[in-house]
Amino acid sequence: MSARWRLVLGLMLVVASMAPLLPLGLWSVARGWYFPQILPATWTLEPWARALSPRSDIPEAFVTTTAIALAAAALSLVLGIPAGRALGLYRFRGKALVELALLAPVIVPGIAVGLGIHGVFLRLGLTNSALGVVLVHLVPTLPYVVFVMSGVFANYDAAAEAQARSLGARPLQVLWHVMLPAIAPGVAVAGLFAFLVSWSQYILTLTIGGGRVVTLPLLLYAQAGAGRNDQAGVLAVLSLAPGLVILALVARRITGRGVMIGGAG
Amino acid sequence: MTRMMTAIGALLIAGTAQAQDGDVLLAMSWDEIVETARGGEVNVFMWGGADTINAYVSDHIGGILADEYDITLNRVPLADTAEAVNIVLGEVEAGAGMDAGAVDMIWINGENFRTMKQGDLVWCGYVDKLPNASLVDFENPAIANDFGVPVEGCEVPWSRVQFAFAHDTARTPEPPRSIPELLDWIEANPGRFTYPAPPDFTGAAFVRHVFTHAAGGADALVGPFDQEKFDAVAADTWEILNGIEPHLWREGVTYPTSITQLQQMFANQEVDLFFTYDPAEIGTAVENGIFPETAMSYGLSDGTLANTNYMAIPVNAANKAAAMVTQNLLLSGEAQLEKAQPEIWGAAAVIEPSRASAEVQEGFATLERHPSVVPVEELGQAALPELTPDWTRAIEDGWIRNVGN
Amino acid sequence: MAGSATSAIEVIGRGHPWLSLAPALCVIAVLFGGGLVLGLAGSLGMGRGGVSLDAWIAVLSEGRVWRSLGLSLWIAFASTALACLIGLGAALLLRRRFPGQGLARLLFQINLTIPHAVGALGILWLLSQSGFVSRLSAGAGLIDGPAGFPALTQDRFAIGIIAHYVWKEVPFIGLILLANMQSLGDDPESAARSLGASPFAAMRLVLLPLLMPALIRAGAIVFAFSFGAWEVPVLLGQSAPVALPVLAWQRFTDPDLATRPEAMAIAMLIALVAALLIRVAMVRR
Repeated sequence: MSARWRLVLGLMLVVASMAPLLPLGLWSVARGWYFPQILPATWTLEPWARALSPRSDIPEAFVTTTAIALAAAALSLVLGIPAGRALGLYRFRGKALVELALLAPVIVPGIAVGLGIHGVFLRLGLTNSALGVVLVHLVPTLPYVVFVMSGVFANYDAAAEAQARSLGARPLQVLWHVMLPAIAPGVAVAGLFAFLVSWSQYILTLTIGGGRVVTLPLLLYAQAGAGRNDQAGVLAVLSLAPGLVILALVARRITGRGVMIGGAG
Repeated sequence: MTRMMTAIGALLIAGTAQAQDGDVLLAMSWDEIVETARGGEVNVFMWGGADTINAYVSDHIGGILADEYDITLNRVPLADTAEAVNIVLGEVEAGAGMDAGAVDMIWINGENFRTMKQGDLVWCGYVDKLPNASLVDFENPAIANDFGVPVEGCEVPWSRVQFAFAHDTARTPEPPRSIPELLDWIEANPGRFTYPAPPDFTGAAFVRHVFTHAAGGADALVGPFDQEKFDAVAADTWEILNGIEPHLWREGVTYPTSITQLQQMFANQEVDLFFTYDPAEIGTAVENGIFPETAMSYGLSDGTLANTNYMAIPVNAANKAAAMVTQNLLLSGEAQLEKAQPEIWGAAAVIEPSRASAEVQEGFATLERHPSVVPVEELGQAALPELTPDWTRAIEDGWIRNVGN
Repeated sequence: MAGSATSAIEVIGRGHPWLSLAPALCVIAVLFGGGLVLGLAGSLGMGRGGVSLDAWIAVLSEGRVWRSLGLSLWIAFASTALACLIGLGAALLLRRRFPGQGLARLLFQINLTIPHAVGALGILWLLSQSGFVSRLSAGAGLIDGPAGFPALTQDRFAIGIIAHYVWKEVPFIGLILLANMQSLGDDPESAARSLGASPFAAMRLVLLPLLMPALIRAGAIVFAFSFGAWEVPVLLGQSAPVALPVLAWQRFTDPDLATRPEAMAIAMLIALVAALLIRVAMVRR
């Protein structure tokens, strides 16, 4: 295929990727945008002013969503890195079963467990709290971290640790100075995945948070469900924020070969 | 160690002292109840889809509660009232702390209320403790019965609403003004009408209008569920609804899944008629730019269904005293008048203005209305009582089986 | 100074992998396992006195449930097949240099970071009969009004739902394949080319089989998600039949408490079917 064809197809791919974002962005600066108007008749920043006003729920939800996603990502890294290390480095009896168990939440749809998890959390006294929401987000985030980290550790050279040990380094020193630098890119990818998965949760947040823990997806469904397309547009654009921040960070390091967010293969 | 044990013990005792046993509250005077509530919080679970309503509760009511009673009002927005019922049910089933429930108050009516009442999930018998309850005419059957279910002191009325249609005067100057006219209009204007599929609340209410029409009027359906009568009327209803199907939006192959979808379709000229169970919503939609200013709500000459919505306190609510103070405040003449202002919400009051202060009476007498909203008095001239939950459930299930499959 | 003989022992944690696994396993066992067990218990009507199969019998003998299952299977199969196919094409396209390749790769990844709710709303406002594309068509004089535009959302064939999943998952599949291609390098294909294979044959006979395991794994994730997600069909789906997860949620939020066990039974059915189908796909590989 010639470079020109690649350019054309690449362009089509990018346009198709961006197209659904266009009406979302337009609605966030529109008022009364009806068929058959192609572009809004009235352009206004009022939806943003309203969304960012002190009376609005949105700023607080933005903070809540970020904090929950950060906590869920951090927790799943703490739990997932050791598990990924064990799965990536060692062979042991029952390994296949463990892998299946840890990856099962990706295969079994959230709603199937969500309705039951509510009962578990109720008994643990974790419903209607941000802590409960963080914990329940581990169900979809942890498998991704284990998935990415076991791949990283499968290509990891454990001999370097042995060398450091033989030179007299203590285990924690080895983990900090040898292992961590080697797996850092993988940890970043796994953490980003976990953050984004938590950031997007709706059903689990609703069932466990009981409406008390208000995140951006909850507000998005509420506003879209009330026909407030302008407010929903603002929420949609805000929901893109972490993705755009990550892309901006990655873009600075972009090379000819391109840098990937998701190296989860 | 001993000190820690003592501290924990003290905490536990304090916990029990604060726990608001319903029976203890019922034995108190109103002043004592207010004192118990002071400094606490109240978690109000309510449908959260309208900014105006949210602001009225959070800012206006929440502000008064904070200033006068030092009570913090937490409004918890819901997409569906059943979510709150689910929370209470889950807590009660798991036996998780009676009088420690997360939900202190629910904006509720109809089948959700029946579910809570039948499941002993709602706290009863406290309503006459509220001083402002005297402003309400509990003799009025439309208030004493919530979708035909006797209220019996298990919830406090908040607003009255009545079903209304809406059209765009620029597009459809002469809309149909009764169910028979509507049925003819649908045939004459193929593809320009549809209704949300039950279990959508408003869609189910539309189907009940056709059902009432098929029964020959609301009087035929008053009283408890009657299977024989239902079967006869239902057969006619499904015939009518299946008959108009080819003339509906997308030939009736599919229906909108929510009232919001119909709202968007009306705004975008996909259909010509809209309807709502809260006519004030048409005014709000115009103000918010959802509908053009030419949108106008109107009633039907053969009547539209009306209902009352309420505030209920779950049996396991942690802050019953604060919830009572909140309910009492919501019933006050001033709060009901504020709520009736078109720019606030435009919701019809449940109190008898004549029993309120002179200022409140004056306020109600000079109430403005939004130009797009049909006057309450005009609509109220032909109000139909809601059917009991047994009827509404049977109609919904029947529609899904016979029309919307 | 120990030699290589001791290095095996020196690798930290080798002796007891279970210690490293225990925290993650516990969390999954309690949250996920507990959720499944309580969901199952709920579907059997436990907690309301006794065990009964009533909910399962009611659910399995209901035509609506089977129609919803059929729809959900169609959504999942169509979404997975299209996402895999386009994802593979995109990976093949983006692995070679062309002007703007870096930017294209970057923008290609954006979808990966977008919540499903946002994407579904975007698709709705783009493709509905009064959406952006429809307005463009009206502006160009192609249609008279919304009814003239084909029904692409809330439609019988779930086109809007499938469009959303394909839109969202093509970058996911594409990036996983790109990562695999990078680790494979150009060697296998160049070897085939030097033995006289055409570029297409080299791709089909050499590269594709090497990518297959990763493609199946990624495809299984896409299948499971598009089969079981509620957020997307609730916005983009038609009124009947509804996708199976939407049906489960309808029963869960029904004011009639008697339908809770049915909601749990449908949820368990979703889990069962997803697990079975993915098991079959993995074994046949």
